Amino acid sequence: MKVEALQYGDRKVYTVASFNRGVADWLSRLPTIWVEGEVTELRRNARWQSVFFTLKDPTDGACVGVTIARSRFDALRLDLADGERAHVFGRPELFEAKGDYRMRALSIERFGLGDHLAALERLKKKLAAEGVFERKRPLPLLPRRIGLVTGNDAAAKRDVLTTITARFPAARIVVAETYVQGPFAATAMIEALREVSAAADVDVVVLARGGGSFEDLLPFSDERLVRAVAACPVPVVSAVGHEQDTPLCDLAADARASTPTAAARLVVPDAVELLQRLDRARGALSRGARGVVERRRQRVEQTHERLRRAPALAVERKRARLEHSAGRLRALSPRATLQRGYAIVRSGDGIVRSADAVAAGETIDVEVAEGRFGARVE
Amino acid sequence: MTFEEAQRELEQIVERLERGDAGLDEAIKLWERGEELYKQCVGQLDAAQGRIEELARRAESAKP
Repeated sequence: MKVEALQYGDRKVYTVASFNRGVADWLSRLPTIWVEGEVTELRRNARWQSVFFTLKDPTDGACVGVTIARSRFDALRLDLADGERAHVFGRPELFEAKGDYRMRALSIERFGLGDHLAALERLKKKLAAEGVFERKRPLPLLPRRIGLVTGNDAAAKRDVLTTITARFPAARIVVAETYVQGPFAATAMIEALREVSAAADVDVVVLARGGGSFEDLLPFSDERLVRAVAACPVPVVSAVGHEQDTPLCDLAADARASTPTAAARLVVPDAVELLQRLDRARGALSRGARGVVERRRQRVEQTHERLRRAPALAVERKRARLEHSAGRLRALSPRATLQRGYAIVRSGDGIVRSADAVAAGETIDVEVAEGRFGARVE
Repeated sequence: MTFEEAQRELEQIVERLERGDAGLDEAIKLWERGEELYKQCVGQLDAAQGRIEELARRAESAKP
């Protein structure tokens, strides 16, 4: 079919068919390239010439229809299932009758383990650079309610619930059961996470899943889920897989537990141990109060002891001063006068100041500067 | 008078007496005052201790 315009005066007008033809021509000149996406809505029928599926961008959900010749598809022996990631080699092609375009695939390669690892590593670097893994909030000591996001089958759920209840019987738990693997897991978990973290009084959320294959755990590294965990308004404890698995949601969570049981231990304290600690604290409280009184009592008693000794000390000091004065007083006796050659004469009646005071033959006492001696009056 | 006020005055009296600059009559008066303050302090400590023991007993009997 030729692309030919009809002429209406000076206006060129094309038919729909020729318009589509033109676009198809133009599209066919685009290069053949590799496109990565998730395979969904795969339709293969032995009576059809082509196999159809939709290739979906796992990050934002953008879609493109893909067709591939059935013989070519079968020759690849891929056994592709919905939700699997793949690289598709092809180019755009217009379905002229409908005017919509799709991708004509020439080859398909399953997204292998190595590709997954490389993609995860790139995503991890990108999120780390954005600081998505940096926020680590402390977990509440005693959450009012605990949100639990987990699969509905799950041993993980049972482990978390049993451990929480055993440690802290009064704990209240909001459970959101959701898909934890498969193509819908990431969006389902994001919704569940949003739901439980918004529930009244929920102070912490546990995201729990038991072990599984690398592919099983891939949704826990889904960029959207990782971001949702990092942005969760309450702290998140991630307990996904086993010790050796580190899905990216573990890095974005506020705390990481190696098993669901360990996660339960992180979110509630052991009630018995807590009571013992409270008991010890109460003991320390009364000991502390007694200690305060005891220390004050000792100080008062010491002060009192000093008080008791103080008056005797004061009297003693005054007495000493008195003795000192007495000593000096004695020292100031007329000895100085005696030094100059005078003598003090004493009779039985005292100091002799007049010759009339003594009679001949009377014994008197004479004191001189150096000692004293007796004498008889002539 | 609080315990701390009584204790402070008592300690000041003792320091004054130990310095020995008070007259004899005054020293006797200070001593009497000191003994009075000491009794007051001990009384308040006894009362506090009594309350602590009472609380501890009550806490003990309220144990779950």
